[in-house]
Amino acid sequence: MRSAEVLDCHVLVIGSGGAGVRAAIEASGYGETILVSKTLAGKGGCTTMAEGGYNAVLREEDSCGIHFEDTMKGGAYLNDPELVSILVAEAPQRINDLLAWGAVFDVTDSCDVAQRPFGGQTFPRTCYAGDRTGHEMMMTLIERLASTNVEIENEVTALDLVREGERVVGALCLDGKGEVMVIRADATVLATGGGTQIYDISTNSSSGTGDGFAIGYRAGAELIDMEMVQFHPTGAVYPYDARGRLITEAVRGEGGILRNAAGERFMSRYDPERMELSTRDVVSRAIATEILEGRGTPHGGVFLDVTHLPRQQVEEKLPVMLEQFLKFGVDIREEPMEVAPTAHHVMGGLRITPDAGTTVPGLFACGEVTGGVHGANRLGGNALADTQVFGKRAGESAGRSPRRDSCIDPKAIEAQEERLAAFLDGQVPPSTVIRSLKTAMWEGAGIFRTEAGLNKTLGVISHLSSLRLLARTRENLAECCTAQNMLLSASLVVRGAILRKESRGAHMRKDVVQTWDARNSPYGHTYQSLDRSGIETAVRS
Amino acid sequence: MKKIHVRVSRYDPEGDARPHYQNYVVEVNEGARVLHVLQAIHDEIDPTLSFRYCCGAGQCGSCAVRINGVPGLACMEEARDDMTVEPLDLPVKKDLVVDLLPYLNTLPRIQPGGEAFVPDREKVELIKPLRSCIECLCCVSVCPAMDVTRFDGPAAMRQEQRLALDPRDRKDRVTEAVSRGLFACTSCQACWKVCPKDIEIPGKAIEKLRALANRKGLTLPRHQEVARFIRESGRSIVRTGPTFLEDAPEVIEPDGPVRATVGFFVGCMYNGRLPATARDAMEVLKRNGIRVIIPREQVCCGSPLIRTGQIDFIDTLKKRNIDAFVFRNIDTVLTMCAGCGSTLKNDYRTPFRVMDINEVLTKFGIEAPARLPIRVTYHDPCHLLRGQGIRDEPRELITQVADLVEMPSVCCGSGGGVRSGMPDVASALGENRRKEIEKTGAEIVVSSCPFCEFHLSEHTDRPVRNVTSLLLEGYREKDRKKAEQQVQG
Repeated sequence: MRSAEVLDCHVLVIGSGGAGVRAAIEASGYGETILVSKTLAGKGGCTTMAEGGYNAVLREEDSCGIHFEDTMKGGAYLNDPELVSILVAEAPQRINDLLAWGAVFDVTDSCDVAQRPFGGQTFPRTCYAGDRTGHEMMMTLIERLASTNVEIENEVTALDLVREGERVVGALCLDGKGEVMVIRADATVLATGGGTQIYDISTNSSSGTGDGFAIGYRAGAELIDMEMVQFHPTGAVYPYDARGRLITEAVRGEGGILRNAAGERFMSRYDPERMELSTRDVVSRAIATEILEGRGTPHGGVFLDVTHLPRQQVEEKLPVMLEQFLKFGVDIREEPMEVAPTAHHVMGGLRITPDAGTTVPGLFACGEVTGGVHGANRLGGNALADTQVFGKRAGESAGRSPRRDSCIDPKAIEAQEERLAAFLDGQVPPSTVIRSLKTAMWEGAGIFRTEAGLNKTLGVISHLSSLRLLARTRENLAECCTAQNMLLSASLVVRGAILRKESRGAHMRKDVVQTWDARNSPYGHTYQSLDRSGIETAVRS
Repeated sequence: MKKIHVRVSRYDPEGDARPHYQNYVVEVNEGARVLHVLQAIHDEIDPTLSFRYCCGAGQCGSCAVRINGVPGLACMEEARDDMTVEPLDLPVKKDLVVDLLPYLNTLPRIQPGGEAFVPDREKVELIKPLRSCIECLCCVSVCPAMDVTRFDGPAAMRQEQRLALDPRDRKDRVTEAVSRGLFACTSCQACWKVCPKDIEIPGKAIEKLRALANRKGLTLPRHQEVARFIRESGRSIVRTGPTFLEDAPEVIEPDGPVRATVGFFVGCMYNGRLPATARDAMEVLKRNGIRVIIPREQVCCGSPLIRTGQIDFIDTLKKRNIDAFVFRNIDTVLTMCAGCGSTLKNDYRTPFRVMDINEVLTKFGIEAPARLPIRVTYHDPCHLLRGQGIRDEPRELITQVADLVEMPSVCCGSGGGVRSGMPDVASALGENRRKEIEKTGAEIVVSSCPFCEFHLSEHTDRPVRNVTSLLLEGYREKDRKKAEQQVQG
């Protein structure tokens, strides 16, 4: 066995999106911090792709109580109320951090941060920078990060956490050449984002492969509500390879209208009160139903129309949308977009405490890899806020962790090397496995679910997991690990979906007849770990 | 599905002495992007092909490559059959993966005072267009000045101006920008034209920073001299002999019927330094039925001032020029200087239409000249190609007279005040052109900009001609042959 490179730090942060970078910035105040990024830090993750906005209570007329209630209602009351309270209370402070660090949000004439309406809100509280809000945040965070002494390991893939007894004491990673890197840490923050790349149609960046769910699970952490996958109502439908690309909710926030092929503004049949600005679960099911029942467009979507808006509004508020569609030959000022639902966000994830601690000592988590904040359906604009609020908390908690004499067990490295060596001797290219997985998940664990379909999907996953993945060179090892993470994440989603025998938020079980609404559900979180799995049935207050 | 033939640059530093091309054929979906072709190669044919990508939606700037020589985002550019995909012109790590970090790490970063506040709306609207940069470094990979001098490049200048505009930043970004090579930019606009986010770096960052530098007294001495001269004489060129305007009639009637009437904006260079070339152009127009009105009171367009950030005298120049043509009821103003044309089109708001002479001649069509038995190459003037989007017109004219051998379109170094302010940089860029010209084997270099023509003539041993001078040679040859035939007949 080669002797692997060993790095040592106080805090190890895995993931370089909004949550990871925020955590690293915070942790750096407490001791040497290493940030491991699968991509070039700042370019990966989904934060930089986030378009619409950041929810924060900034006006007298608004209140944290209303933001809390909107979030709980939108989340079908599956959210952890304590986490939601923290989210709404601290979102304004965290946007202030960004402003102090140079973020350029859109402003009103009176020099306040501008806000616009998003789905499921009783007050327009979504702050934005055009339709490139996440990019603006990421640019700001990366600039801030550069002023700290955080050591950034770019294009390094985290493989697994390493434990000493119960406690996480670091991680094993792969560098760009496929060589194992060992990082020992007093505390580790998992901020790897979500994983809707397990679906055929997804908004996620290439790094949205559920690595954190899998890594956390394998390290013994408990995950909750993994069945709660948000399908964003509006993804692109063509050209084929661009299907699923996010069409921001800001399009509807700015006044965009949904119509079916017959020209009918169909949302009036699904949610006459909130119409296009209903919550994402409702709008997605509405669009999917229109398409399934034959009222879709030739490309298999519905129309999303902004042609009635002033051209200047489209140009100023939706510049990225305009630019992207122009690239694909559609001028959204002149003609409607065609859209259909696309897998967007995993509401479930590692169970965390208010201090971002997981169920495993020494391991913290923040951002999309965690569960509980968004319940059964996330409100648009709450994810960017989540990254900052819990990113800071995770970085702080990890930073405050005591320094320890710990060491990485050579057996763990050996086992990892064996795992990797097997890939070099494998048979099936990971891309083949991933393609099959994506199709199976879209068909069997998508917007509408049944127990039979879920079981069938689980069978496919289990078959795919039994195949021996092939890496042609060491540089291809990371792809094999990613494929395994995707398979594990997918199985967590499907198992969660089987456990939850009710329709709630984004989780729609067509085979279950239920007599309760979300607020009166007898069920709490689903939970899955190496030791146990089930669904909480504690009576809710 | 459709079939795509693609040539991909491959390079593995561990085994290859230099990059080589590998050909692939893949099946992709209708509308597939370059990225999907690369993924198809990786998934179906060769998993060792390395390329970088992440968001797949044009928002992260990971996947920039050169597609048929032009930098762009692999995830946004549509795949075409028979395309070549190469890495950006930056240090290559493997195949299409370049090392972005050495440059990204040099970008200036905000130094905020710590207070959380937002700039006012006016500021925000100015900053926003500069803020959409995704740091893909397409711009850096095409910047010619960075190759020859210490210039930190378009992405850094974009960021300097973004910071200079932000009241939260505590550093003197203008002085910093000057020390990082602000005056080395030739305003060739190559950076802007390859930017996936269409950020107008020369106009919105570099010229703005130069204007701020001017307020701080940091304008280069030579540029100050030019400004003083324009203020005093209305011209940027010192008179060394009779000028074009001194000798030209007020109106030049064409030989045959009038097909169009234009006002001629001559520009300082053709007026004062290359008047013979301007007279060649008049001959060509005359022969092709274009009636030309030449207002004497026209002055410098102001380009040398705008490019160097000395903008307080601009409005006076603009008014004098606009009035000169409006007074004569001219609805179309003809320019033959690429710099003047670009300035009138992009920096002025004129009540008349502005057309470059190449546009006018191709629009109305020209009498066929004789073919000359020579091979020429054409140097694209930056302010014609990128400033006015004129690429095909001069080629259409040239190929009627001579055989054309193409060379890459790169700045010669004469623009942006670099020739006067930083002659070494201009000279180094001119020498790069010399090499390209030699590669073509052409006997004559043709261009369509007095700055390029004048500058190139110092950096090549071949004659440098204006497009219209070449046409005129073709006409003279035609006349000579005709006369010969008459004598023989």
